[in-house]
Amino acid sequence: MPVSDVLAFSDVAFRYPDEPSPVLEDVSLKLHVGDKWLVKGPSGCGKSTLFYLLNGLYPDACDGELTGTRILFGKPYEQYRPGEISQVIATVFQDPDSQFCMPTVEEELAFTLENQSVPRGQMEEQITRTLEETGLTAFRHRVIQTLSGGEKQRVATACALIMKPKIVLLDEPLAHLDPMTAREYVQWFSALQQRHEWTVLVIDHQAELWRDFFDHVIELGEHVPISETKRTTPSSSKPVGSGLFKARVNVPGILNTAELQLESGTITVLAGPNGAGKSTLLKAVAGLIPSAEREVYTQSIGYVPQSPEFLFMTSSVRQEVALGGGIRTETYIDKLLLGAVAASNPFAVSQGQKRRTALAAMLNDARSVLLLDEPTAGQDAYALEELEDALFQVVTDGAALLVVTHDMNFASRIADALLLIRDGDMSGPFVPRSVFSNPALLEKYRLVASEGGSIDVNMAAPVESFY
Amino acid sequence: MLANWKLKEVVLMSLLAVVFGIIYLVFLHVGNIWSSLIGPIAYEWIFGVWFLVSIVAMAIIRKPGAAVIPEVMAAAIEVLLGNAVGPRLILTGLVQGLGAEAAFAVTRYRRFDLPVLILAGVLASVFSFGYGYLLGGFSALSPWYVLLMLGIRILSGAVIAGYGGGLLVNGLYATGSLRGYAIARQKRDARV
Amino acid sequence: MSTWLHRLNPSIKMLVTFVFIFALAFYFDPWTPLLMFGAVLVVQVLFSRIDWKRWLMLMLPFALGAVGYFWTTYVFGTAEDRLDTALSLSFRVFAFSSLSLLFVLTTSPMTFIMSLMQQLKLSPKLAYSLLVGYQFLPVLKEEFIQIRQVQQLRRPQHNQTTWSRLRSLPTVAIPLLAGAVRKAEKTAFAMEARGFTGSRERTYFHEVTWHRFDFYFAALLTLIFSLCLVVGAFL
Repeated sequence: MPVSDVLAFSDVAFRYPDEPSPVLEDVSLKLHVGDKWLVKGPSGCGKSTLFYLLNGLYPDACDGELTGTRILFGKPYEQYRPGEISQVIATVFQDPDSQFCMPTVEEELAFTLENQSVPRGQMEEQITRTLEETGLTAFRHRVIQTLSGGEKQRVATACALIMKPKIVLLDEPLAHLDPMTAREYVQWFSALQQRHEWTVLVIDHQAELWRDFFDHVIELGEHVPISETKRTTPSSSKPVGSGLFKARVNVPGILNTAELQLESGTITVLAGPNGAGKSTLLKAVAGLIPSAEREVYTQSIGYVPQSPEFLFMTSSVRQEVALGGGIRTETYIDKLLLGAVAASNPFAVSQGQKRRTALAAMLNDARSVLLLDEPTAGQDAYALEELEDALFQVVTDGAALLVVTHDMNFASRIADALLLIRDGDMSGPFVPRSVFSNPALLEKYRLVASEGGSIDVNMAAPVESFY
Repeated sequence: MLANWKLKEVVLMSLLAVVFGIIYLVFLHVGNIWSSLIGPIAYEWIFGVWFLVSIVAMAIIRKPGAAVIPEVMAAAIEVLLGNAVGPRLILTGLVQGLGAEAAFAVTRYRRFDLPVLILAGVLASVFSFGYGYLLGGFSALSPWYVLLMLGIRILSGAVIAGYGGGLLVNGLYATGSLRGYAIARQKRDARV
Repeated sequence: MSTWLHRLNPSIKMLVTFVFIFALAFYFDPWTPLLMFGAVLVVQVLFSRIDWKRWLMLMLPFALGAVGYFWTTYVFGTAEDRLDTALSLSFRVFAFSSLSLLFVLTTSPMTFIMSLMQQLKLSPKLAYSLLVGYQFLPVLKEEFIQIRQVQQLRRPQHNQTTWSRLRSLPTVAIPLLAGAVRKAEKTAFAMEARGFTGSRERTYFHEVTWHRFDFYFAALLTLIFSLCLVVGAFL
């Protein structure tokens, strides 16, 4: 049986109107029925752009410049009516909070049907069928804003599937999910894919979560070798702890009393499933929750939210670092490798640079306890390595770090101690290695053991000595 | 009217309306406390805040309607929130927005520099004052008091909405997040 | 019958409210707006089921404003019968607000926007963008609070005066706006990827209709307003 192409790109190049050079060049690919592609590449290499070219949003949505040919089911893209391609190609995006426009799940599903002018009489039946097929019937009348990240991604997927597409594009669907939720999504999606034989393309930095789902790989862009970021501080050179930070917090109704002790010069990781209270704990310690009961034994606490740009109040990285009146501005700019962007607007630099700017500012303010909320979400391998270096740099200076993450590979590389949290109950500290080798504990906190990453953490303190 | 608008521009107007709606609320609380003490004139000096969304949206999107539509949307969002001013607010938004829009229409949507933004703030003040004059029954007040109110409102429109709006747009432009909108395109063309 | 106001067509309800708000603006005697306020209250009590505590909460700031209106008009007024005019303008605030609440508290945002699109032919691009804005409201509000908090944490002096809060608004606004720009683009692309073109050629899951009851509402308010005028003229 001859296998016909579902979709073919030949010599496609694309340039944004505001950029001097093209973001994609010489892209040629052929997709067949049931193909499962992984799309890889560092941030900014054009993976999302490729998706927008595939689903037909570009070049129109951004006035970009496109060359080459794009053929979908034997017909050039340009010959499709507006909105017609979306009946064939469905897309699920990365951010679970920016892809809905209606209040409830049912209405959101109906929105897809309304867009295709499906007669009202048929909507009921199609909504019911899609919900049954995706196992979401119980969510039919739920308000989308009240759903968890994982549930939102499933609803977004169901909304994409209701038109019975032939091709499904997933743009980092797991980036904001905890590892177990991500695994469950993968299983759920794989089962649907087998039944419908979709052609699938997935962008993901954490390919390991998909196990052996893919049968093809597209690699875009080149990995820039880490030249400026030399591993300056191996973890073994950390100074001996010179101080202990203690805190006790309680947020009525959300977080039960949690006591923590962070030693200067060490990194503590706080892990647990989405919605467990990780961010709440961090905010409570930072003093950002008015209703929290809080006892802390230092005032010099720094806090870096998941979006570090919330902190920015000036128009250059250098001013940002100097804002608090600290005198070691240049030292910290150098140490956190911000020299090249010191004059840039802090909002206009990369996500990793934003986070390092925030860290440098906190250090320059002589804040000795730093709290980081989800610094790893949506970061590629290169950015993670940069972050790791920055964190080691920070603790070498004697700060105590508390990092929220559910990336266990990352945790295994940086953590001196591990705190686990579930349903507002925190426990620990644990020795990281003992947690990774304890499947029951991992299961309980919906974590996934780190894979392959060698655990070279300096076990300075056994668990008992923390208390 | 919206045929040649990109969806992201229309959604942006709506989200700007929400952001400024939130900021309006902060000022509304300030204004309310003052107004029971010193009367309706309490709102005059902060009135420019209510014109910001027109000026910011127009400076970014630069298409006919980009001043009046977000002002009406901001009003509609406040109504959806359950503001007791109610649907009347939509009319208020329309009138204010038309005032700001007039400044850009007069310059044929070719200039978006500070003087034009300030003019937009002034015209929004004048339009909204005319509307307030009718509904608020200002005709019952003495002329010098009415003139004082008008003067303060115009000043507020020029400074907060015109000048402040301009600063806000420049600050936002510097963050690089406006790539892909008319403001970035035109600033780039101006440099070349 | 008791939930009649909730079931009215939102567009018609809005237009009728507009008409009477404008009509009231031409009267400067104290009785017309006062009677209108009372009559609207009666209609609200008879034909709707609302949370009266909420009604009071929403009314309160306007009551304060009405006080300000009263004495401003009394002190700075020019008319012969200053007291009457001052009372009239304050009662007008009450009448406006009660009419507005009649609309606000009996109308669901979703149905309102759907009706604007289906009856008043509002462009779907605008209508759905408005819905997106409405969905993002709690998200952006939360971000606004968070940004204000974390920036406060960075300021050396922790003074929390009203003035310093207002002064810090521009620095809070920039990250909030930058985030809003990104969200707008992402959401717009997500909608387009699901086939939204902004065309009027679309079907509706929620069809909003109008029927004769909507005209009864208009007739009822006209009747009430006329009565208020007549009685107001005699008093």
